[in-house]
Formats: sequence, structure tokens, C-alpha cells
Amino acid sequence: MTAAVAKGAMGDNVLDIDRLLVMANQIGDFFEPYPPARRAEGIRNHLRTYWDPRMREALLEHIDQGGEGLRDFVIDGACLLRETDAGRKGYYGPPQA
Amino acid sequence: MPNPVKPDRSVITTCAYCGVGCGFKAETHQGRIVRMIPWKEGKANHGHSCVKGRFAFDYYQHPDRVRSPMIRNSIDEPWREVTWDEAFRHTASEFRRIQSQYGQKSIGAVSSSRCTNEEIFLVQKLARAVFGNNNIDNCARICHSPTQFGMSATVGWGAASQHFDSILQADVIMVVGANPTEGHPVFGSLMKRRIREGARLIVIDPRRTETVDSPHCRASVHLPLRPGTNVAVLDSIAHVVVRERLYNEAFVRERCEWEEFEGWMALVGDDRYAPERIGPEAGIDPDAIRQAARLYAGGPNSAIYYGLGVTEHSQGSTGVMCLGNLALACGMLGREGVGVNPLRGQGNVQGGSCLGSWPHVFSGYRFVTDPEVRGSFEQEWGVGLDGEPGLRLPNMFDAALTGHFRGMFIMGEDPVQSDPNQQHVIAAFRNMECVVLQDLFLNETSRYAHVFLPGSSSLEKEGTFTSAERRVNRVRKVVEPLAGYQDWEIVVKLMNAMGYPAHYDHAGQILDEIARLSPAYRGMSFELLERIGSAQWPCDEEAPEGTEVLHRQRFPRANGRGTFMLTEFVPTRERTNDCYPLLLTTGRILSQYNVGTQTRRTANSMWHPEDRLEIHAEDAHARGLADGDWVNVTSRFGSTRLRVKLSKRVNPGVVYTTFHHAQSKANTLTSDLSDWATNCPEYKVTAVDVTRVTAEPDRRTAEPARKLDEVLA
Amino acid sequence: MWAELRELRDDRDVGTPPRDGEPVTLTVDDQTVTVPAGSSVMLAAALAGRSIPKLCATDTLEPFGSCRVCLVEIDGRKGYPASCTTLVEPGMAVRTDTGKLQSLRRGVLELYLSDFPAGDIPDGWSEFHATLEQCGVSSHPYGDGASHLDSPVDLSNPYFLFDPAKCIVCSRCVRACEEIQGTFALTVDGRGFESRIVAGQDQPFFESECVSCGACVQACPSQALIEKSLFEGEYRHAESC
Repeated sequence: MTAAVAKGAMGDNVLDIDRLLVMANQIGDFFEPYPPARRAEGIRNHLRTYWDPRMREALLEHIDQGGEGLRDFVIDGACLLRETDAGRKGYYGPPQA
Repeated sequence: MPNPVKPDRSVITTCAYCGVGCGFKAETHQGRIVRMIPWKEGKANHGHSCVKGRFAFDYYQHPDRVRSPMIRNSIDEPWREVTWDEAFRHTASEFRRIQSQYGQKSIGAVSSSRCTNEEIFLVQKLARAVFGNNNIDNCARICHSPTQFGMSATVGWGAASQHFDSILQADVIMVVGANPTEGHPVFGSLMKRRIREGARLIVIDPRRTETVDSPHCRASVHLPLRPGTNVAVLDSIAHVVVRERLYNEAFVRERCEWEEFEGWMALVGDDRYAPERIGPEAGIDPDAIRQAARLYAGGPNSAIYYGLGVTEHSQGSTGVMCLGNLALACGMLGREGVGVNPLRGQGNVQGGSCLGSWPHVFSGYRFVTDPEVRGSFEQEWGVGLDGEPGLRLPNMFDAALTGHFRGMFIMGEDPVQSDPNQQHVIAAFRNMECVVLQDLFLNETSRYAHVFLPGSSSLEKEGTFTSAERRVNRVRKVVEPLAGYQDWEIVVKLMNAMGYPAHYDHAGQILDEIARLSPAYRGMSFELLERIGSAQWPCDEEAPEGTEVLHRQRFPRANGRGTFMLTEFVPTRERTNDCYPLLLTTGRILSQYNVGTQTRRTANSMWHPEDRLEIHAEDAHARGLADGDWVNVTSRFGSTRLRVKLSKRVNPGVVYTTFHHAQSKANTLTSDLSDWATNCPEYKVTAVDVTRVTAEPDRRTAEPARKLDEVLA
Repeated sequence: MWAELRELRDDRDVGTPPRDGEPVTLTVDDQTVTVPAGSSVMLAAALAGRSIPKLCATDTLEPFGSCRVCLVEIDGRKGYPASCTTLVEPGMAVRTDTGKLQSLRRGVLELYLSDFPAGDIPDGWSEFHATLEQCGVSSHPYGDGASHLDSPVDLSNPYFLFDPAKCIVCSRCVRACEEIQGTFALTVDGRGFESRIVAGQDQPFFESECVSCGACVQACPSQALIEKSLFEGEYRHAESC
């Protein structure tokens, strides 16, 4: 491993971004058959429940920079993570209606 | 005089090998274990056993057993024996140093099915209450994590819906991606008994396994599908069920979400899932798909049993959902003789799932993000807890490579041998600063470890295991721990060394704590288990002696109804091509257990001294291979050498091997692809090529790591 | 098959598998007992506290009726039927321990003893020994005739051995391999005095289809099949005196 990575500068991603993109798109593949609203919600719930927050942040950062390599509805779902509407009780479980 | 020695004492305990959880009587003579005989009242085995639990117990006193804690500052130095106190002090100070340098989330823990429920609970408490993060995972990640995900999604709980005996009421048994006669032998024998009585068998497996074809036990339908096509084939079966109207409408209307059902019907009913389309793609006869569907839906009692052939795929969770969908559609849940039953392979892997050894849930499958649940744990444990999900095991390795993850506590697991993409795992370990192993023997992972804490085998500790049928069995101490402490005592001492004042007089108090914090275990206690022997969770006020069959009245989901998930087939990214034209899949054999840490140190190696590569005659002849030849097996990720075995059990285009011996390095080949939902590795589909080599490889490098005398300073 | 497995108890062996069925009441040695239809007379006797001596019967296996030790007398019937293979009927009256039955049993057991290593009789703790004691038999009146005492011991399996000298050909091992394990690795080869237990195609255990589950070892009443770990040092073939 190169010295730069071995030192672990806290600024870089916890996981390699390519890996995160593969994982995010795979999640998208599963939710594809669902209608758009549920699809986006499902992706959001999955990321919220199962991904370490630093992984989510890295993904959102990548989206802010253009989101290359991500399918559009995956981007939609991930962006829902930013909605912190207090009135809406977050759902934490496996994908649901 | 040749009369055998008569044992003077007998202790009832539970086998630690596979997920059947056979009850045994460990018999001793003057303090030495002389034999293990099956316990007639064991509710899983009823007096039967297999070669592993019955005979292969001698590993516990093998000379390789580590009896003293060891530390070293770098993995290039030899090990140094130290006192327990020094080992704990060193570990505690290293972990805290790493956290202060790289952040609170830079360390984590992994438990395994070798741990009792009590130990698993303590290790996740170590991560949560002492490390202060949710970086806790367990070995189920790499095998049945999709079960938890997929079954929770459809029926509400990720565990077997029946007890093992329920198979005696089944009329149709569908085995998907599992080989019970090898992996769960005692359960396999029960299944064969039922088949001899007339039940019909459907097997979905790329190989013609021993389950498909053995004396007086033959599958009525065998679907030898191409590895990687599970979801397509299961959706095709569902297609037949929908189009031929074989589903149980009354059951769906009464017990399930009708709208979701309609959505599912539209998906699988579509022409693209017709057997005539899917059959050729998966390499099976379309008629066989139709037969399987009609047989399963016809019942009257059809039971599904499945294993890692479903879960260890990039669509593992989706595959599990397909099974849940099928069972719900045909009304095969909620009574004896039916159900969806994951055959959990390891002694206490179900316990690991139940007791919150996951980065995203506490015990009882309740989410760390849920403030109410978190609050109850904070109150019991007296510390604030992290409300965000932590890193899964594969992601811990990814994070190690970017320098964000530097310390790890591993109990009873050998990730270098058992996890996929071995080069990646080794690189990750090399990047860590403090790897702590609690285990019986030095193993492949110990080459990269800095602290070794000698643990205790299941014959040397008190606790409980949860088997594949949700049965909580007692594990009793038969002999004193060889290195001085029971596994759970070691974890408590480590917690203390790191500043957390945990204390338990005996393991039963840990189960009491589990009972206070996990709804499904609420009624469990050592006292209950002394009285009735064992109990299947949920065990609470409604079911004080446990629950044999789940979902009789309602499904444990918010509205009490089962639901249908949309399971579109997404082919894996792993593809064969000109470079790698064959598909490798893996499996288990009866005499060896997993990576062989225990069974290779017993006479069981007489049956399976090496892993072989099973290959079809056609593929062998095309490469000029004869039975017994050495070959190079290569994939995108690495290569290894194995000896070939010509076999009629695999189809052309598919090769097969087992993973029990370290020198086979089966996991240098396996890919970095994994299940979309849980990161369960796709062990079952790897594109490889096989070429003949002339010389036998030098195997000597594998041994020294495990010989204690050669590694100590 | 439910009762056959779930009614098994560790502290007793009722001789034949428990059954589900309508209750049937009968008397055994004037004791009234009620058992499910389909139960054997042997099981009824065991539950009535009148244990009948046995060798080839055990409650984890279907009855076979080969050893001829468990004979009983039934009022109104001729002869001495084996209680393991006889099913209960309402109102049946069974005698388990008459003088004639005792002498028949003694005769059968003495024959077994004549082909068993005499040196292993004292200090023995197998089921065979217990049955001998139950029937008051410790020696036989026959001289040295043909026997199987010189048969070679099969040590091929790393965990258990098979000593044909101690085998009474009760076929419990064969039945265990079929019914409990489902591997069908063992059979009885030959007939009468020549009958013997063989594995596979008359091969050593290790080379046959045997998967070493130990069901046969668990079932064997005479310790002909026995764990190697119960012997200190090498297994020695006893000589008969």
C-alpha cells in the first residue's frame, strides 16, 4: 500500500469511491421494478439503515460533483437522505411500501 | 483385558459443529473425555449423530493448542509469550491509542459461530459500549446474512419457520442450494427417512449432489441450473404458479398484502420468465421447471430448505425473497410440514444473528438508528451509544485499505482463509496496527495478528448455542479451559482492561441480560433450559417453553401480513469469457468442517485429506486432463493449484471444489462481488480457467504458521 | 413417525419405537397397562414395570425378532411369541417370566455365550452383559466347538473397531444404518451359523460406503462395535478359556 494511504489522511473516503458506486448501483438494480416514488424511498431507507454515515457522505459528495457512474434514480434516492423533515418518522427497516 | 474403560461421568452438552445442534453426552473417565455419545432426548437429533460431533472432538487437546497469551509489535517479529494481564493491558492501550489517533470508528470486532450466545452478546457489547461504535459483525455476514434480509422483508423474521421434526409432515421437500446429507447430516438422515415414507424431493443445485441421488432416496425433479441463475429459475417457477393459477388465493387474501401480490404476479407472470425462455439460459429443461412448480404448489404440505447456494450470490437476498414469495403464494407457511427453512451451517450462527452481532441492529433485530431501542440499551449498559450503522466486515477491509480502519478484535474466525478475494483481505490486515485474535490455534489470519488470546473450545465453557431451528441449547463445560479462562471470561476481562466495569458471576447472568434486552429471548434462562432441555425462540409470556412453528396466526411485520417483493433477475457481473470459460462453485463435505481448523486436527482428514477440483469429463478431455492431475485454477483475482477429480456430478462448464484445507487457497480465486443488500460474498459464481501443470506444488510454506515451536521467540 | 422420535427417553429403553394411536388396555403379569395401538407387547411390559430381557430390540429401531430372548406367553395363544414383534390387543393377558420362559431364555443365551470370548464376561458392562445378569446366565455347558472367536478385528475406521468375535448378529447395526442414518452400508451375509455382518461389498468399514456416523456403534448391544477411544493402548483380542 502506498504511504499516502497508509497514513490515512482523514479527508479521503473511508471506502474506495468505485466500490461505493458499484454497491449503490446494485441497490438501484433491485429497486428498479418499483414505481419511482417507492424506488427512491427504498434506496434512501436502505442507505440510511445499512451504510456507515461516512460512506453515505462520500456518496453524496460524489453526487454533488456530478454523480458520474450512478443511475439517475439512484441519485434521486440518495438525495432523499438530505431531507431531514422532522415531521416524517424515518423508517429504519428492510425495504417496505 | 479388552473390556473397554467404563466412563464414570457424563455431561449433556451440544455439538459445536454444524447448525443442527445435536445433543450429546460427553463421557469422561478420570477427568479425560473418552467419548461423545448422542443424547436420545436431543430434540434435534433424537439419539443420532455424524462423524464430526460423534468422533472428531480430539482437536481440543491437540498439541497445536495455544496455551498462553502472545503478543508482538509487528507481524515480522516472532511471537512472545506473556501473562494474561500484560496481554489485556497491551490490547487495551493499543486500541485506545488507535482510536485517539484515527477516530472512534477506526476499530471494530468480529464474532463467530464458535462463540456461545453469551460470548456473541459480550463482543457486540464490547464494540458498542466499550469501543463506542457499531463496527461489529459476525461470520454470518459471509453465509446467511441474505437470509436475514430477504426473509425479514417477506415474512418478518430471518430464521427457520419450522423445527426440524416438521419435515416428517412434509409431502414435498424442495432443497435449494444445499446438500443436507453432507452439510447437515443428521437432518439429512431425517429427510431421507421421510422420503422413504413417500415424500417427493425437488433439488435445485448445479451439481448432482448426494442429496439428489443416494440409496433409497432419489429426487423426483433435479434442476441443475448454471451458477448465477437462481433468481431467474425461481421466478420462472413462480411464473408457472401464477400462469397456471396454482397459487393459494384464500391464503394470500387472508394472510398477505394483496396489492403487493398483484404487483409480484405481474412481474413473474411476464413472458420473459416463461420456462421456455429461462430454461435454456439456465441450462435446464423447461419441462422440469414446470414439474417442479406443479409439485411444489400441489403440496399438500411443501417445505423449502435452502443453504448457501442461494445466499452466496450477488442476488443472494433477492433469491431468499423469491423463496419467501413462493411459500406465501402457495400458502406453505404457518403450520407443520411446510415452511421456509434456511439451513444455517454453523453451530451458533443463528445466535449471532439473533443477538445483534451486526453493524445495523442490536439484539432482536432492532435498529441502532431507532432512538427508543437505543435508549433501552443505554440504560442497561450505562453509557451513550452510537446511533449510526457501523461497518460490515467486507467494508472493514475496504476501510483498512484507505487507512480509516486500523484495529480489529476477532473471535473464532479465520477471515484470511474463509473470506473471498484473499489478496485483498491480506492487504487489509497488513494495513492494520493492532489485530487481536481469540482462538484455539494459530491460523492463516494469525500471520497478520499482533495479539493472540488463547480461547476455550465448546467442551471447556458454559453457555448456550442457537441452532438452525431457532433452538437454544445448553453448552456445558466438560473439562477445565486449557489456557485458564472460558471465552466469555476473556471478553469480560478485556472490557475491564479498557475501562468498562462489566462483571458476571457465571454465564447464566449474561443470558439473563440478553433476556432483558431481546424480546424473542425474554423467557430464556439457564433455569428454564435445565428444566426442559432446550427451547426455540420466541420464548416469552405467550410461549413460555418456546415456539416450534412460526407464523401460525400472524407474520411479525407491522400489519401482521406477509408481503411480496419484486425480484427482477439481474445477472451477476461475473461472466465467463475466453480467458475464464468455466464457472467455479464451492461446497462442503461431510467429514470436514468449514475451514478445517478443528477437523483437520482429527482423524477426519483420513476421509478428505485434500480439496479436489471436480470437473466434467468433457472439459477435462478438452484440456488433456486425467483424474488426479495437478492443475492451475485461475480467476481474475488469483490462482491456486488443485488436483483434479473427474466427476459426473457437475455439468460441462461448471467446476466444483471444497474449501476445507488452507493450502488449497480456494479463496484466492473468489471475487469481490457480493450481495447487493448485505455484501455476502458471491462465492458460488467465479469465472475460472483450468490448465494442466506438470509439477506438484511446494506445499511446505503453509505449515509453519501453525507450529507453535517454530514461531515463538 | 412423531412419537417414534419425540417419545424417546434417555433413561429407559422400551424395546420398540413408541407409536401414536388409540389407547389399548391389556395386562402384563396381572398389571393393567394402557398403550397406543401399534405398540409392541415388549413396550407395554416395559411401561408396566415388567421389563422383558432382550438383545436385538431397542426403541430407536424397528423390531426384528431375531434373538429369541424376549419370548412371552400370551393367554389363549400357543407357543412362545417374541414380544418385540407382537402387537398389543385389547384384553390381552401376557406372562413375561414363567419357568418355561426362563429356561428357554437360558438356552438361547447359553448358545450365544458359547460363541463369545469367555474372558470378557467378568467386568463387562455392555447390554449383553446386563441381559445375561438379568437372566442369571454366566456360563454355558458346551465344550469347545466351532466358533467365530478367531475372526480378524476390523480396525480400518480411525474411530471405532469391529470385533466379530463379540458379534451376536442381532442386526441392530444393519437396521441403524438403514433406518436412522439412511446409508445402507451394512448387511448380514450368509445364513445360520455362517451369518456375519459385512460392510459394503465385504470390505473394511473405511473402504465401504460407511460415513462413520456411529449409529451402529451406538446400537450394538455386545460392544462388538465400539469406540477405539475407550481402550487404553492397543485393542487385544481376548482368548476364550
